[in-house]
Amino acid sequence: MTHSELELQLDAYLDGELASRDAREFETHLRECRDCARLHDARVALGAAIRAEVPALRAPDVLRARVRSALSSAAGPSVTRRPLPQGGRWLALAASVALVAVGSWRLGSNRAAGEALSEQVLTSHVRSLMPGHLTDVVSSDQHTVKPWFNGKLDFSPAVYDFAGRGYPLIGGRLDYIGGRPVAALVYGRRQHLINVFLWPATQGPVREPGETMRHGYHLLHWTTPEYIYWVVSDLGMAELREFAQLVREADSTASRLPATTRGLH
Amino acid sequence: MEPNELGRFEAIVLPHLDAAYTLARYLTRHEHDAQDVVQDAYLRALKYFEGFRGTDGGDGRAWLLAIVRNTAFTWRRRYRPEATAAEFDEQLHSEAVADVHPEAALLGASARESLHQALDRLPPEFREVIVLRELQGLSYKEIGEVTGVPVGTVMSRLSRARSRLQRALYAEKEGR
Repeated sequence: MTHSELELQLDAYLDGELASRDAREFETHLRECRDCARLHDARVALGAAIRAEVPALRAPDVLRARVRSALSSAAGPSVTRRPLPQGGRWLALAASVALVAVGSWRLGSNRAAGEALSEQVLTSHVRSLMPGHLTDVVSSDQHTVKPWFNGKLDFSPAVYDFAGRGYPLIGGRLDYIGGRPVAALVYGRRQHLINVFLWPATQGPVREPGETMRHGYHLLHWTTPEYIYWVVSDLGMAELREFAQLVREADSTASRLPATTRGLH
Repeated sequence: MEPNELGRFEAIVLPHLDAAYTLARYLTRHEHDAQDVVQDAYLRALKYFEGFRGTDGGDGRAWLLAIVRNTAFTWRRRYRPEATAAEFDEQLHSEAVADVHPEAALLGASARESLHQALDRLPPEFREVIVLRELQGLSYKEIGEVTGVPVGTVMSRLSRARSRLQRALYAEKEGR
């Protein structure tokens, strides 16, 4: 048997792919052949090194969200109307939320303009799920994310971390909605993604959250005295409401604190 | 697609997303390409799922990984043609690596740093068998299903790939 053939045998032996009789014969050979015994040790070391240094990978959350999103549009409407299974497979739970705040929004509150804006919010949300588009600044620390917007926007967005409530901060980025640059904040939910966008309100009434559903995504929209918020997600509406409530509570707490600690609850 | 058919897809194919990503990531060597390949592969899988009759989870994995693998190779030909300049030659790439002295091939800690690089330099036909066997634990038969070659070819590719890694690591170590 040539060296090369022995090498083949050795690999098959180590991989448990030799028939038991062949394996016993090979073990006999290993005891007698020093070269093969050394190669055996080298192969065992190589296997250990590969397992230690070249890990199997976990798919990034953004990919989970993309695949889930692509599948639900490809599978057709009978799927999006299907009730979510109990116990939640990740497919049904993949989530992303987006909140947007812009300052000089002049589109007003008429219905057509609102629809155009929600379409922009949704488009931006879907675009953010493409590789490399999710965040410009990656940090779970609001004290890092908030200052990152300095000099990039004409307002300082409120940035919170709800990690303790199951919605950790992932990062932020600049986006463009309603004809102006806006802050987009990204949060996570379990192993899934949450995207948040926001911009300052100029005038007009304070509005309670309104809910919309588009192409299988949920959108929440509300106005505080300071900000206009849009939240878009494929998370279930109940969890999206819970998330929105956390933001609203944090905002109202922050507005009672001195300006220096704003957004740093 | 019928809802119960999607349920079957969820149960059989979706749990292997991590395996799909791992294979795509090591084949494309590029984070964004890997994500695009996986998304594309899942859409193809959904499209051809009606023709898939296996119910066992293991079958679903090999079936999906075959689609991921083919998607990655198509992707490479289309978007990274410079990488395919040197086509894989079973004969040429399977030449015996008899010049590795077994003793010298034992690995030292410093050599391990270059294991990633050595893996990246392997032809993808060698790299994929390493990933499928060492990282995913597939049997030779399953690797044959994924890569579309006979078990004997799987066996020789895997052995050659390991010898190359060992030789590359040894060369790295000597060079210092």
